[in-house]
Amino acid sequence: MSTPEGADTELPRYPGPAAPGTGGAAVVVRGLWKKFGAKEAVAGIDLKVAAGSLAGLVGPNGAGKTTSLSMMTGLLRPDSGQILVNGIDVWEDPPAAKAAIGVVPAEARLFDRLSGEELLEYAGRLRGLPAGQARSRAAQLLDVLDLAGDGKRLVADYSTGMRKKAALGCALIHNPPVLFLDEPLEGVDPVSGDVIRRLLTRFVESGSTVLFSSHVMELVEQVCDHVSIIDKGKIVVTGTIDEVRGGKTLQRAFIDLVGPRATDQEVLSWLGSSSS
Amino acid sequence: MARLLVQLKLRLLVNALRSSNSAKISFIISSTFAVLLAIFTFLVLAGFRGKSTSVELTSVIFTVFAFGWLIAPILVFGVDSTLDPATLALYPLRTRPLAAGLLAASFTGFWPLANVIGLLGVTVGLASGGLGVTVAVVAVVLQVLFCIALSRFVTTSLASLLRSRRGRDLAAFLIIPLVALYEFFTQVVPKAVSEGKITAASFAGFDSWMRWLPPGLAAHAIQDASDGRPGMAFARLGALAAIIVVFVWLWVRSLGRALVTVDTTTQSSRVRGMRLPLAGLGLRGAVAARVWLYQRREPLSLVYWALVAVVTAAVSASSVFGHNHHPAVILASAVFGAAFVGIFHANSAAQTGPAFVLEATALGGSRDLRAYFSGQNLVLGVIGAPLVVAVCFALAAVAGDPGMGVEAAPVVLAGLGASLGLGNLFTVALPYPMVKRVGTPMLVAAPGYAAYRIGSVLGTLAGTAALAAPVIVGVNLAANGPDAIRIGVMLPCAAVYGFALAVAGVRLAAKVAESKIPELCQAALQTVT
Repeated sequence: MSTPEGADTELPRYPGPAAPGTGGAAVVVRGLWKKFGAKEAVAGIDLKVAAGSLAGLVGPNGAGKTTSLSMMTGLLRPDSGQILVNGIDVWEDPPAAKAAIGVVPAEARLFDRLSGEELLEYAGRLRGLPAGQARSRAAQLLDVLDLAGDGKRLVADYSTGMRKKAALGCALIHNPPVLFLDEPLEGVDPVSGDVIRRLLTRFVESGSTVLFSSHVMELVEQVCDHVSIIDKGKIVVTGTIDEVRGGKTLQRAFIDLVGPRATDQEVLSWLGSSSS
Repeated sequence: MARLLVQLKLRLLVNALRSSNSAKISFIISSTFAVLLAIFTFLVLAGFRGKSTSVELTSVIFTVFAFGWLIAPILVFGVDSTLDPATLALYPLRTRPLAAGLLAASFTGFWPLANVIGLLGVTVGLASGGLGVTVAVVAVVLQVLFCIALSRFVTTSLASLLRSRRGRDLAAFLIIPLVALYEFFTQVVPKAVSEGKITAASFAGFDSWMRWLPPGLAAHAIQDASDGRPGMAFARLGALAAIIVVFVWLWVRSLGRALVTVDTTTQSSRVRGMRLPLAGLGLRGAVAARVWLYQRREPLSLVYWALVAVVTAAVSASSVFGHNHHPAVILASAVFGAAFVGIFHANSAAQTGPAFVLEATALGGSRDLRAYFSGQNLVLGVIGAPLVVAVCFALAAVAGDPGMGVEAAPVVLAGLGASLGLGNLFTVALPYPMVKRVGTPMLVAAPGYAAYRIGSVLGTLAGTAALAAPVIVGVNLAANGPDAIRIGVMLPCAAVYGFALAVAGVRLAAKVAESKIPELCQAALQTVT
């Protein structure tokens, strides 16, 4: 990504996936635990995400996806476990880890009294970019995300999909080597979804890494090369898409692993046009 | 339909009671206030008996109630789901039975009942004889009906606007005149009454035009019936009933439109500028730029500044406006005004809400956090210092001693530095989630965190007073000195002292925050705005 002002300012790069103990992985999670009261939200997760891959973390509602991602991004303190992002221990050296990641939270709650342009510029300046560069990157990202026409509107007046795209712009503006996204396409229309998918694919092709959570299997099947299924706070399977689905659709494999819910056909016998 | 909607209202009340202890406490407090209002209103109205101006005073009370019914639903819109036609728009309901149902639901609850019981005080205070009492009962029912019809008409007409961001923004500003009115009635009116500046006769002029408004019609109908003019009484009640019918008709029409009209949330505003200011100040400048824009664009920020001005004025208003001026009390205004800048902006991570996560993912070390807090303080100081000083000067001018403004200014500067530093410290030491209080745009501590809030408020207030004390002593010592000392020495010394306090607060807060970012994030994420 170049700017009219010439070469971009390079943000500091940290050890990287080649660092000892990472095995070439951009994200390494070992023995991650988190309890809320008596409930084990995350119960001993081990996970490796290869550098340059687009990995999905899928699971039913309440499986522990958001909790796991929050801990991986330094926003929620784990009870125990270790998280390495690009070779940096997130909880040993949070400033260095934060410089290496971009985050799109599940609920894209942004500074809604800023315009789209101001929001992305603010995100860039928070990340240490010079104001001019933050501005030019913001303009380019808004253009790619199809928000250029709405750049001067307050984020408060954006739709859910527009907010998701703006949040993605904020997460990408400092060109992080690793990007975490929590339900990136929830509430996003197909056209905007396609814009986000293409941007993520391009981002990964450049050697960066993406880990995102979702419960939309079709999406994961389309864009991810690796997937991990989480249920009740534990990773139940992890591998390439083909390995995990084992000849079935990912949806079928997911339901087989997580367990189908009981059908209520007898109880709802009155439901439908043919019923009296 | 009426029965169903009344049941819905009762079910909502019962569910609120079952939901949590805080909801129970809130319900009990609300019901207690309703009972107290009923008793207080009844006694006040009954106390007018025998007074020559009883009808004028009754008209005033009736008008105040109508005003309350007009304002309260606008403030609590979104809380009472029976107020918003959009919640019922999906169901196949005809407008007229729906209107009757909503009207019946409006009559349900402690507050409408408290209104009726309280206003029945007129049967003692204004009515006399069988006919007078009968007309009084009818007039009270019509008065409450008028209040409900008026409030339903206004809220339904404004429903689509109030659902929109702009509408909620506008409604937020209603809190400012309400707080100012509260302060006026608690600080200024008692003083004026005790000094004989406000008497019952003061309301005589109002009655010449108020008697033709619906509340005045109700009050005068009671007097007419009591004075043996039944024809005039029935004519007034008839006029009042006709006005109610008109409002109900307008409301039904408005309801019919509201059920099939899209809201205005799709209309959006554009901002003029395209660049964040303070580009040369790095992270500190970026944070200051964002906070600066928020002071203009976020209604709650504007409300906070208006309330700082109101608090500053209210602290010494009773002394300033009374016969015996005590200008020295303006120094107390300076301390309170400065302290409330810090109080309103403490717990800044939670006040920012879930958007704080965007900042948290970028803020790493202590240096970043120092820039973050000092960027916020820069903006708050630039706005707060001239605002509080200006109010102190205005108070001093009203008190007839403009020199007190000069003496208050150093106290403001020292106090502001102290309160901002303390606000930063409380932000990191006692982070707690916040929720929007029902009926106001203000954020308050989430259930279970009231002690955090109280600790933060009292701590900032006491700390500001203690840290500003040396400057207050200095100001008093220099009070009779030459201007060169009062202005030339005290002002810069206080400014440097205040700046040092703010810097100390920022440094300490940044050090603590370095290891508490996750806790700050959780407080922000749990905040409901």
